[in-house]
Amino acid sequence: MNDFFSKIAELFSTPEYIDSLLHGFWLTIQISYFAILIGIILGTIIALIDTAKPSKWLAIPKFICRVYTTVIRGTPMALQLFIMFFVIFAFKGFPSIITAILAFGLNSAAYTAEVIRGGILSVDKGQTEAGLALGLSRMTVFMKIVAPQAIKNIIPALGNEIITVIKETAIVSMVGMYDLNMAAKDIGSGQNMASYIVPMFVAALFYLATIYLISFLVKRLEKSLRRSDLKAEE
Amino acid sequence: MEDKNTDLVIKNLRKSFGKNNVLNGIDFELKEGERVVVLGPSGSGKSTFLRCINWMEEPTAGDIILDGEKVTEKNVRKIRQNVGMVFQHFNLINNMTVMENLTLAPIKLRLMKRSVAEKRAMELLRHIGLTSKANSYPASLSGGQKQRIAIVRAMMLSPEVLLFDEPTSALDPESIGDVLSLIRELADRGMTIMIVTHEMSFAKEVATRIVFIDKGKIIEEGTPTEFFKNPKTPRVKEFLRKVL
Repeated sequence: MNDFFSKIAELFSTPEYIDSLLHGFWLTIQISYFAILIGIILGTIIALIDTAKPSKWLAIPKFICRVYTTVIRGTPMALQLFIMFFVIFAFKGFPSIITAILAFGLNSAAYTAEVIRGGILSVDKGQTEAGLALGLSRMTVFMKIVAPQAIKNIIPALGNEIITVIKETAIVSMVGMYDLNMAAKDIGSGQNMASYIVPMFVAALFYLATIYLISFLVKRLEKSLRRSDLKAEE
Repeated sequence: MEDKNTDLVIKNLRKSFGKNNVLNGIDFELKEGERVVVLGPSGSGKSTFLRCINWMEEPTAGDIILDGEKVTEKNVRKIRQNVGMVFQHFNLINNMTVMENLTLAPIKLRLMKRSVAEKRAMELLRHIGLTSKANSYPASLSGGQKQRIAIVRAMMLSPEVLLFDEPTSALDPESIGDVLSLIRELADRGMTIMIVTHEMSFAKEVATRIVFIDKGKIIEEGTPTEFFKNPKTPRVKEFLRKVL
């Protein structure tokens, strides 16, 4: 146990180790942030196409969206990452961070699309009919009636997806990227501390703290959205 | 609105859901000031018939012509502004207050300024005794209150015709009375009404014409007296024997 604490002291008193950890943590944050952003934007587009009223010119986009979510959700993330690195962006000099962001963003989009789709479909059909029967356009009905109600159902599940992405980015160490996970392995290796337990424990704390913060923010957002429901019951 | 002789003409209306043919060729006309009650056994297609009129369900075949204008994909929104609808489950918009429910369409469709719309909404709410609920959300209202608000919401656009799709089927007995008396009042003021209901005594009292639908076709129609006293077809006789 004493050894454990002395190792912690060693880690935090060696500037190179702290530097490596923060460096790795920063890469994890960057990849996660942009991947989640892409996931939400692309996921929203897919969900909108998927839930739109069927029509001639939407038939092909709808089919593409279906295939896309099926393939992405049906294959391992690690394999998708490999395909991005070693097949699609295999040419020299392409920044690996962008490859990673695209890999995770395109993956997250499929899951986010399902979350948003579920949220939209959970709004009672009568709500849409009420708007349409008054002569409102589909656009107005969606923006004013369906979307505000769907958001309440989407936020909790979306929070889950964000957390998943942050943790999943740890597999970029498999393609040699220096993220938080890789930093922990590096610091623990023979040339450095020659002990994995402490750097990995500290890396775990970093992940945990980040995810705890995200959950906290999502819970607060959920609560503030629910507050308008409580107001409704006064 | 210029043409006060509201004419709704429906020709050979058919509706199928997949292989299920719900409406099998309905021909029907509605004149201004008429109050038509649509009766029929459950599953006969009476709600679908009503919902096809304002294209809540897109007809599979046939024409719906309002004031000489055929309903199409292009003008359906304009038609809907002239054909109000009241639903079985009220369908008040949950994320909006009562006031917002009433004023949303007139403001969004640029038919009224906000101030005008709000004034009219308050008048209508006063009429049904619910001004105190103007800033409440639907979740805090009883079924009867919701349905009466849904009716005045449809009235906000001053439609030529009001369609009622089983407006009292989801209500408790006490609220049914409130809702029916509001509909009766609209009828007395000359509103053109089509209503699908199971309230036989109300149908008898308020209708100018009864239409009976079975298996997606109108099999009998007539004045309430004719219909209830001297039904012509065996199917209607059987129906009346069971419900009366």
